[in-house]
Amino acid sequence: MALRELKVCLLGDTGVGKSSIVWRFVEDSFDPNINPTIGASFMTKTVQYQNELHKFLIWDTAGQERFRALAPMYYRGSAAAIIVYDITKEESFQTLKNWVKELRQHGPPNIVVAIAGNKCDLSDAREVPEKDAKDYADSIHAIFVETSAKNAININEVFIEISKRIPVVEAAGGTSGKAFKLGRQASESRRTCC
Amino acid sequence: MAVHSPVNGTTAIPWRGIKRRLSLLEQLKGCQEAWCPGEPWDREGAHAALCGTPAGSFLVVRDSATSQPGLLCVSAGAQNEDVLDFNIKCTGTVFQLSDSRLSFSDLAQLVLFYSLTRDVLAVCLSIPRWIYSVTEMNKDRLSELEPKTWLLTPPEQQTDEMTQTEPSSVMCSIQLTSSNGALCIINPLYLREHGDEWLTSRTTAMQPSKYKQGRRLSTTRTWAGAGLQNKRAMSLEQEPFAASTESTESSGLVRARSADLPSTPQIAAGVVLRRPSRDTPSSPPYRASTGSLPLSAPSTPGSLTPETQRHSSPLPQSPHRVSWIEDGVWLPLPRPSSSLHPPSMELDSLSISSIEEEQESPLLSPAPHHASAHRLADKVIHRFSAVGQALGGLVCPKKRLINRVQELSEKKGSAFAEAVKGFVETTLRRGIEPGGATGSELLQDVRASLTSLRDTLLDYPEIQALLDSITDLSDAEIDCLVERSIHKVALKPVSAHLYTCIHTSQTNAGTFERLQNNLKVLEKNKVEDLGGSAGVGVPDSVTVERIQQWWTSMHEEFSPNKKVKILLKVCKRIYNSMSANSSSGTVFGADDFLPCLTWMLLRSDLVTLQIDTDYMMELLDPTQLQGEGGYYLTTLYASLYYISSFRPRLAARQLSVEAQHSLNQWHRRRTLHCDQSRRSKNRRTIRRQACRDKGAQSSETEAGGKQEGGKESDSVNADESRQQTEALQTLREETVTDKGAGDQSQTPASHGQPETQEEEVTSKQEDRQSFSIAEEEDHRGL
Repeated sequence: MALRELKVCLLGDTGVGKSSIVWRFVEDSFDPNINPTIGASFMTKTVQYQNELHKFLIWDTAGQERFRALAPMYYRGSAAAIIVYDITKEESFQTLKNWVKELRQHGPPNIVVAIAGNKCDLSDAREVPEKDAKDYADSIHAIFVETSAKNAININEVFIEISKRIPVVEAAGGTSGKAFKLGRQASESRRTCC
Repeated sequence: MAVHSPVNGTTAIPWRGIKRRLSLLEQLKGCQEAWCPGEPWDREGAHAALCGTPAGSFLVVRDSATSQPGLLCVSAGAQNEDVLDFNIKCTGTVFQLSDSRLSFSDLAQLVLFYSLTRDVLAVCLSIPRWIYSVTEMNKDRLSELEPKTWLLTPPEQQTDEMTQTEPSSVMCSIQLTSSNGALCIINPLYLREHGDEWLTSRTTAMQPSKYKQGRRLSTTRTWAGAGLQNKRAMSLEQEPFAASTESTESSGLVRARSADLPSTPQIAAGVVLRRPSRDTPSSPPYRASTGSLPLSAPSTPGSLTPETQRHSSPLPQSPHRVSWIEDGVWLPLPRPSSSLHPPSMELDSLSISSIEEEQESPLLSPAPHHASAHRLADKVIHRFSAVGQALGGLVCPKKRLINRVQELSEKKGSAFAEAVKGFVETTLRRGIEPGGATGSELLQDVRASLTSLRDTLLDYPEIQALLDSITDLSDAEIDCLVERSIHKVALKPVSAHLYTCIHTSQTNAGTFERLQNNLKVLEKNKVEDLGGSAGVGVPDSVTVERIQQWWTSMHEEFSPNKKVKILLKVCKRIYNSMSANSSSGTVFGADDFLPCLTWMLLRSDLVTLQIDTDYMMELLDPTQLQGEGGYYLTTLYASLYYISSFRPRLAARQLSVEAQHSLNQWHRRRTLHCDQSRRSKNRRTIRRQACRDKGAQSSETEAGGKQEGGKESDSVNADESRQQTEALQTLREETVTDKGAGDQSQTPASHGQPETQEEEVTSKQEDRQSFSIAEEEDHRGL
């Protein structure tokens, strides 16, 4: 089974629960054969999607405004970005919109964008209506889910949706990340046809 | 200390002298009459002779009727003055103890085996040390020896042997055993019975039991190999420098180990191979034997690191049982890694993987020895599996590769050697001059050369064959291995020069000045002021000091991969500090890590760190950039950038223009290299292809990637002024690569393009770009 490494970047205001979401996603996948990562800023998890294994390399970013300028370093080369906001903080939703703009301008061209409205367990304190967020996500063709890292709601769904939207590798090409071998690039044979 | 490592131990070892040594087995056989006397020795006689001798002293008594060896009499020690009997079954040509199922083809093998592992015995058999000095020259005298002589053991040795028979950490022996592919089997019953507590106890016994290490032998085959191991190497004739000490040892008058031995050899043992320290009379034989150990892979001078000797592993004896089954060449020898360098580390399976905390200890002091051993305890199962992975040629081919590459680089006239030589000379000639190449340009060229050296290396069929023989590593790991071997021959000679160049370049650019100035502004900031949340902890003063030492070690490494490993250790330690005071369950992500790292950097040598960061950023194998190592390297870079560009009153957006400019440039270069290295073999083809493709508007993902790679190759050394043109090209390409993300993981390059646009790029272009994104999304049917 082909293994594809997918870099996923986490964006969003500080305190919206970016790392908690990833922690939830990764926590049940404990495998003694795989070294755990040293911290929650970078985590990995491999899931099966159809006939492929998707290894998510999840890059967390610091959400503080002062570190904003550093974000391009993190989202470069990402297959997907999960932009997280807090449904109880309107401001975090505005930040999210800025991230979307920035990704459009400077992000990888085919990046899959997922919007996660976190802390949906706190619906009493909700400031961002689900419909508003959903409409916005649709308008930019982004994945949208409301999540709760606390109650493990919709966490896996985010990643499943991302897997679905990652373009399929052409079957014959052997172009998945691990398919090349030193000195014997798989792409070699394909070059002759074009 | 040139050491050849013959497969079966039969090859001459240069420093070992001319006279052929006898194997321990031969030595034992030679004096069999002494320990297995015939008439009139009987059980009573043997008991009388053994009574009061050190534990493990033994005699074999022959059956009076058949005159076959029938009874093994073993002294239980001087204190209890007891002698234990074990029946020897002798059926045809097979010898075995009645209580054991292990069979041996002759008596000497049986004795030798039980001198290494006690199996059913109460203690291991003890073989007098003088036997190791027996050579071809004086072997005739062996047959004259009598049981009394055999048992003659100076009182000092008693202490010695007693120390050695203490149980000690089996952890080490496992690693040791795995070192050259010997298979080790841990008795699972033992684990079930005793858990892993034994791992944490008796750590101090490790050093004394070194002696046993040197003697570990097979009892069933490969005796030629056995012959080369052991203390033979320390005899008077062959060790002119060590004459006085070793002659004493040779005659069996071994001085007692001093009480502080467990700590002293750590210093003494690592340095000298042949010259023993008088304080540690038992260390030299160990070292000597290490040197003569047959490796399954060729080893070059220096491949036996000090750690080899320092962290020798003991032979596990009572109370647990461990069996070894040889596997080809086996004579286990201590790994350069050790209890402090568990196999998982040694495997070097990508710097991406996380680092175990206990591996750090030897860098600083031997003191954490105990602590690390304790930490090992709960990881025993994990470690076992790591060892299991280490078996079967993983370690050996790796060493073999590195050694082979080294040899190739020194082989006059070989293409690789010429290429390495050319690279080193060219690089050393280059410097940083005003108006000339910048530091990062120089590093880019170095990276390109490393990649091309790799291609040259991979052209060697034997290297390909060697790599093909490594079946248990992923491609990425093999990649890493090849990188490391090239670093050793190419990067090592030039690393100091590169540091100087980076220093000059960054000084010219004013980076260091900004770093130092902002350091003054920021250094008083608490972690909260730097953006960290309230509950987050920072390293205490001890940890700060330790991290500063790690930075120093990091600077001393020439291999970017190894530097990254140390960086990961630092990051892990910072994480530990962050969560030290917080309630369990708190998850600290980048929101807190970046401020904490920044806090730590403000207490570090920023100039050196900047140099190392540049070095790593430009020279690290591009395939590693997406992994954990890449993440934390990025974070280090980001943090340094934050410090150097910190301007309290400046709006964040203004900063971002400048920051992005720099980062984008970096990304452009790195993705280029990534692309290059992935397709390095076909680089030229790619470029030509790219030109043709330009108009072809191929929708194939692969073609898109190639195209970019080709164009970027052209522009690698181009002025920055060309960037805008490239940005335009990029835009064009985007429409081409409408399915471009098809192989995200393989061609990250194809996703990095838009960043290369600078703020100056017209809004019209941006509009086009957004349009193209929207269009793509439409294609996906959203």
